[in-house]
Parts: sequence; C-alpha cells; structure tokens
Amino acid sequence: MSDSAESPTGHQDPGDVLRRVSLVVLLGALAGMVSAILANGFVAAIGWLNDLLLISPRSRMMEEDAWLVTLAIIIVPTAGGLVGGILHRFIPDRRPHSPADLIAAVQTRKGRLPLRTGLLTGLSSLVSLGSGASVGQYGPLVHVGGSVGSGLARLFRAGVTSDNIAIACGVAAAISTVFHAPIAGILFAHEVVLRHFALRAFAPVAVASVLGHVTAQLIWPQPPLFQVAEAEVAHLWEFGLFVVLGMASAGVAVAYMSALLRMARIAGSMKVPSMLRPALAGLGLGLTALWVPDILGMGSETLRLAFIEGAFTQWELLLVMVLKLLATAWCLGMGFAGGVFSPALVIGSLFGALFGSVIGSLLGLDLSALVVYAVCGMVAVTAPVIGAPLTTVIIVFEMTASYPLTIAALASVALANLVASRYFGRSLFDRQLTERGHDLSGGRSRAILRTHTLGELLSDDYVTVSPDARAGEAREAIVNAGSAEAYLVDARSHYVGTVHLHELVAAGDDEPAQRWCDSNALCMREDETVWDAMNAMRHFVGEGVAVLDKDGRLVGTVFESDLINAYLELLERMRKEEHATA
Amino acid sequence: MPRLDRMLIYLLLAGVAAAPLAAEEDPLVIATWGGAYERVQREVLFEPFEAETGIAVETVPYNGGTDILEQVPDLVDMAMSESLAACAANRLQSIDDLELPPGSDGTPAREDFIGGARHHCAITHTVYATVIAYDNQAFSGQRPGRVADLFDTETFPGKRALRKTPADNMEWALLASGVPRQELYNLLSTPRGLELAFRRLKAIRDSIIWWEAGDEPVDLLESGEAVMASGYNGRFFNAQLDPDSSIEIIWDGQVQEYQTWVIPADAGRPEAARQFIRFSTQTEPLVELAERLAYGPARHSAEAQIRRHPDTGIDMRPHIPTHAYNSANAVAKDIVWYAHTLDRIRQRFDEWLENGEDAEEAQ
Repeated sequence: MSDSAESPTGHQDPGDVLRRVSLVVLLGALAGMVSAILANGFVAAIGWLNDLLLISPRSRMMEEDAWLVTLAIIIVPTAGGLVGGILHRFIPDRRPHSPADLIAAVQTRKGRLPLRTGLLTGLSSLVSLGSGASVGQYGPLVHVGGSVGSGLARLFRAGVTSDNIAIACGVAAAISTVFHAPIAGILFAHEVVLRHFALRAFAPVAVASVLGHVTAQLIWPQPPLFQVAEAEVAHLWEFGLFVVLGMASAGVAVAYMSALLRMARIAGSMKVPSMLRPALAGLGLGLTALWVPDILGMGSETLRLAFIEGAFTQWELLLVMVLKLLATAWCLGMGFAGGVFSPALVIGSLFGALFGSVIGSLLGLDLSALVVYAVCGMVAVTAPVIGAPLTTVIIVFEMTASYPLTIAALASVALANLVASRYFGRSLFDRQLTERGHDLSGGRSRAILRTHTLGELLSDDYVTVSPDARAGEAREAIVNAGSAEAYLVDARSHYVGTVHLHELVAAGDDEPAQRWCDSNALCMREDETVWDAMNAMRHFVGEGVAVLDKDGRLVGTVFESDLINAYLELLERMRKEEHATA
Repeated sequence: MPRLDRMLIYLLLAGVAAAPLAAEEDPLVIATWGGAYERVQREVLFEPFEAETGIAVETVPYNGGTDILEQVPDLVDMAMSESLAACAANRLQSIDDLELPPGSDGTPAREDFIGGARHHCAITHTVYATVIAYDNQAFSGQRPGRVADLFDTETFPGKRALRKTPADNMEWALLASGVPRQELYNLLSTPRGLELAFRRLKAIRDSIIWWEAGDEPVDLLESGEAVMASGYNGRFFNAQLDPDSSIEIIWDGQVQEYQTWVIPADAGRPEAARQFIRFSTQTEPLVELAERLAYGPARHSAEAQIRRHPDTGIDMRPHIPTHAYNSANAVAKDIVWYAHTLDRIRQRFDEWLENGEDAEEAQ
C-alpha cells in the first residue's frame, strides 16, 4: 500500500506502470489464445466422439445397422459414466469442479486454480459429453479456460490480482470462442466471474476475448451452436408477451436449479458407491432415450428443432422439456461431469416455443415466428441459472446478428433474473457456493472477510493469571504490563474468564481475583471468521478478545484495532483491484 | 499347298489387322441425361473426341440412380452422391491413378480442380444446381421468390412439378420451415426433422406432379401443366434462351451438387473411358460446356474464362449457379450423408408415395 499506488493522478513511475500493464495484457493474450485453442479442440473432440459412438443424430442416421444404433444408446452413456467415475478419483476432492469453484477463487481473492483439477474436470466432461450424458459443455470450458489463465499467471509469477484477471481472460476467451461471441465473452467474465468493472481488468480481458476469437477462426474453426434463418417481431404489443414469458421462464429456471440441487442431495444419500453413480445415471438415461432420443447429449439438434414451427406438437414440447430437465438433474446429480448452461438453453427454447405456441392458439392470433419465442425462452431460462442477463442477450445478438431478436430477448430477460433471485438466489453457482459456506449475496467484502479466520490476527500481547491468584497479584500483573485486563488461565491453559483492572481497584489485596471474574466476557474460537468476529464485536467495549482453540485453551488475543485494520486493508485491496486503472 | 499356306498367311494377317479395326468399331457407351444437355455434350465433347481418337461415342439414356450400372455402359455421367454410394458398393472402377492435364493457364490439375472434385472412383466435371423455377405468366401481382413459396399453395396456387426423389425436396421442406441451410442435414438426421420434412411435402401432395427425366419440368412449365417446377438450372436456362419463354429461376435454396464421370466395374472399354475423361475435363471443353449449359465448371481456370453464350451473346456469368450473385443461399448437397442414407430414405419415400396413393384412392 505505497503512496504511489494510492494516487491515480500519476506519482507512479510511468515505466513501471507500462511494464505492469504490458505484463498483464500479455498474460491475457496468452491465456486467450491457449484457452481458445483448447475450447475449439474440446468442441471438436465432442463432435468426433459423438459421431464415433453413434450418439449424434447424424451418425445414427448414417449407420445402417439398426441394432447397433439401439445398443449404442444404452451402452455408450453407461460406459461413459463408468470412465467418468474412475477419473473423478484422481481429482483431489473427488468431484469435477465447476464455474462455482472458479467464482469462489476470484471473489475471495484466492486465485491459484489448480491446473490438474481443471484438466481432469475438462477430460471427464469430455467423456460425459462424448458419451451422450445430458450435461452442458460451457461450464467445463469456462473452468478449463480459467485454470489455464491461472496456470499461466503462476508461470509468470504474477500476484493474486493478476491471477484473478488471468482467470477472467481464460474464461472470456472460452465463451468468445464457442459462441463466436467476443463481446459476450468479455461481458461474461465481468458479470459472472469478476463482478466489477475495472479498466485494469477490462483491457486484458478484451484482448483475450478478441484474440481468442481470432485464433479460433484461424485454427480449427467450429460451426456455431445455432443459426437463425430470419426472425421479425410481428406486432409491437408482443413485447408485453416477451416480458411475461421472461417471468414464467424464471419459474422454469428456479425449477431447474432446484431439481439440480435436490438430485445432488438424493444421490448423496444413495447406497451406490459414488464411483458407480455416473454409470447408473448413464444406464437410466440411455433407457429413457430409447423412448425420447431428444434428451441425449448436449441437445444441439433439439435446440435447433425447437426454433422450427411444426417440429414438435405442444405435448411433445412439454414432454421433452420436462424430461430434459429431469435427465440433466439426474446426470449431474449422479456425478457426471458437465455444465448446466447448454441444457438450460435447450429447456428454455422448448419452453419458449411451448409458450408461443400455446398463447398463439389460445388467442387465435398470428404471432411472430416461433423462433422469436423460443429464443426469448432460451435466454430467460438461462440468464437466471448462470446469473448473467446481459451476457445471454449479447450472445443472441452476436450469434444471430438480428437486432429485432435481440430486443425481444432483452424484454424477456428484463425481469427474469429479478424474479428468479427472489425465489432462489442470484444464480445456481452462488447457491452452490452458499451451500459450501461461501455466501456471495452480501457482496465481496463479506465473502472475503469470511475466508479469513481470527487465527491470522492473533497477538500474544496479553496478561494471564492463575484462577487462584489473589486480587493484589492480578492487579500488579496488569499494571506492570500496562494493560487493563487479564485472562484467568488454569494449569492446563484453559481459559476461565477475564478480570478488569477497574473492578480489581476496589478489591482487597488478599481477596481471590476470581470473585471479580467476568466469566461472560466475550471470547472467540480461533477458527471463527473475521466477518463473524466483527459482528460479534459490534457491542464490545474493551481492549482485546480472548481467542481459544477448539478445546477451550487460550491461544492469543485479538484487538479491535487489528480487526479494523484487517477490514480497511481488505477494502483498500478491493478498491485497487476494482477501480484502479493500472 | 504353298498357295494354300500363303492364302492362310494372308488370311491370318488380314485377321490380325482387322481385329483392332473390329474393336474400334465397338463404340464407347456413355450413359447420360438426354435433351439439350446431351446435345451440347455431343457437340462439345463427343464429336471432337471421335475426331481426335476415332472412337465412336454412343449414348444410353440415364435419369440418375445406380441401377444403370446393371446395363454396364463404359462411362456414366453420375451425380457425386450416387458415385460415392456405388463406389462404396464396389460397383465402380478406381480411377485414382488417372492423370489429368494441367489447366490452360498451366495450373497443375491438383490445384486447378475445385475442392472435393476428385474422388477415388469419380472425377467432377461440373457443378450443377437443382433449382425451383416458375412460370411468370401464372401469377398476377406477387411472384414467388423464396423456397417457402413452393409450399405456399394459397398465395401461389397451381401444380408443382417435383423430381420423384427424396433428395432436394426434403431440403426444401425444411428450408421452408425456417431451418437454416447449414443445419439441414443434421436435422434431417433426427426422426423429428425427417418427419417434419415429410409432413411439409404431404401438405402440398395434391399439387405435386412427379417428374423423372430432366427435360420434363421444362415441358410441364411450358405446357402450363405446372406453375412451379424443380429442375436442373441448365435445362431452365436452355428454355430461357427462347425469347418467348416465361420461365424464371428462383435461386434461393438452390441445391448444388457435383456431376462426375465414373467407370462401371465391368465396363467393356475402360481404357477408352479413361481417355475420354482426360479429354473432356480439360479447361477448354469445360468452358464451352459452361457457356452453353450454364453449369459451373469443375476447374478454376475454366470458371475464369466464362464469357458469353456462343449463339445469343448473353453474358453467361449471372446464369452460373456458383456465381456469387446466385449462391447467397445455396445448399451444398451433403453427399457423404446421402451416400449412407439415400437407400433408406428413398425406401421410406417410396412407401410414403405408395401409401399416399392408396389414401387418395380410398378417398
């Protein structure tokens, strides 16, 4: 916290600033390119596996042996689950990671995403998606991209702030690449990962996103997720319908996210060993897909068909939507690695199409083309799930280059996130983090204060006296130490209570000090978070608070001033990260 | 005896000399598409070839498909998708080793031919398009301009002449439903997408006249029996050369495919067939074909040389399917997909046709 850093008006050495800026931009550029190549390779590998394993509709259509096709639909997801379950044993916490882990790392200023976990998560997701599990590809891509960025930051020996920015760069490039949407990539990194707008982060993230996009077009370009032939909004009053659709979609999003969390809990209480759960999920999925093949895999074809008038009846739309929702909760809950984004797109577009088609037939009116409603539903279900309304709208804009469609999507997303957050939370990721003890709903400062414990702020500047000491001895010890209180601690270091000098003053020398002991004095555990300590000390008057270990032994004291200092320092670091230009 | 010997020697000598002569009299049998197309082929390819090699060219009529291979011609002018299927079934000779001359500008053949033109069993000579055309006298006021109009019998009433095959018609059915051209084959691969295509066709079935030979759609339009028709762009172009013609082409959703030369596995004159392929795929004949037939040539060097129609003097470039002006919403026929699926889809299509006719009879 040097003075030079505090003054944005330019006491800094310009050469130093230039060096730091170019380092972080270079880091962003590298992270962008590597992440883009990995992302495209990932998408291509999924396509290749889907074709090889008779999962993609194209390969199933082209295979002449009908029995082989039927057999593959059952065996391939089961085998994929088995491989995934085995892979997860090599991840330190034995589960595939998700964007939630990445958000937590950035929001609590930890950075340092482990590359091994990132790559194993990516590999396992590749197996899931390649074998047709009903999961998404973007979560894993975002996680791999972020891990690559973080890995590069470590390679360059960059600090935590640069590490966080590098993570955002990798994420931006991944989104930019797979959606052919560099602006959405930048937005996603800010909206979901960084959650603040600082020029210092914007520059490298933008570089990463654009460079990733360019790299992806040069090397191994992949077709976009979907295309839209043409779409116009027929009547202006339909914008009202889009807003209603958005709010209804929020309900679908909440149902989807609740199903994901509930299924994870149900799976956790199953007697099946966790390694075998994904295989069981694959078997269940395959058997269901014999009946409704639309739920298999990422669902690109289902998504595209939902845009097309007459491809589904209303009942089929409802059936496939509900089954896709359940299948995704089933697959992810049982431990298949993969994301929640692509299934949300599919569920949302089916819901939008259903909404448009039902309203159209109820009103007996010619509404805009079905694709407009499908896209609105797609955006309004997805945005609350990932907590990124702007990103999803911009994805539509960049993928379709259709302004009418974008504005329709904007109308539908306008209230969706607000409604969903009332009933569920800012996003699925935030809710997952809350369940793991990282509550981001109180903002970053609270989240960061919660990652620090009192153990880090301990001071040994305190006075102890034995519980059977005389008041005179205690008084003398306190005065000699220049303090105002002393802790009574027994022979085994157990904390008994606190005596205050102002009370001992009135006591006779030979009276037992314990008589004046304030056994209700505030004391805390060393593993309590700084945030909890600050709350507990709201009404505290005194010097320091005794800090105990889990067995009740005194390990130190923490002064109010240390807590305030820790808080101010944190605010300062956040201010620098979020507002500084370089 | 000596005289007899001498006679025998003479006879033998005559026989030896006559044998190749007799063989030369065996013509090269080419299965091709008849009509104006074949007339131009005769003028630009067959006659110069006969003049240069002394090998006579005979043709047998061909309307697509691989059944023609049972007749064993020496050469077939086959669409690439069918060439691939026939090749996979070992019904064609490999022509991998056939060396083709460089382009007229000296570009080696490997670079001169357009992407994907050469295959193990087939060599592309032209890019043709199946397009929708209409009779511009049939509609007052609004005229059709998009693929979707083919399926809009309310706005554009009248009979549609469509080729009796699932190909092209399935693509158009999905295009008309709003499927982007890049996603056609992935969606036709899903049961739902295929179903949708059939439903879309079914909706206009009463208005469909099925055609099989390439000249029929032109006749059907000119006779007024049909108001819209699918057909090969070259055939429609040829009809348009008549100043009184009322045929107009809708380039939206044109389905482009490669047309190839293939040699059946049991062909009687493979050497002559190879000689013909070498001869007919040089730059100059390709330019001449394109200028007369309005098909895209398979060589870049030929595309660059296309100028005017030899008889009428009209600029040919806007009539070529591969021209940028026409190809904005062109569908590249997915021949690999068709090679694996055509038989099953055709079977389904035939059943659909039969059931439909039953249903109509029942009504």
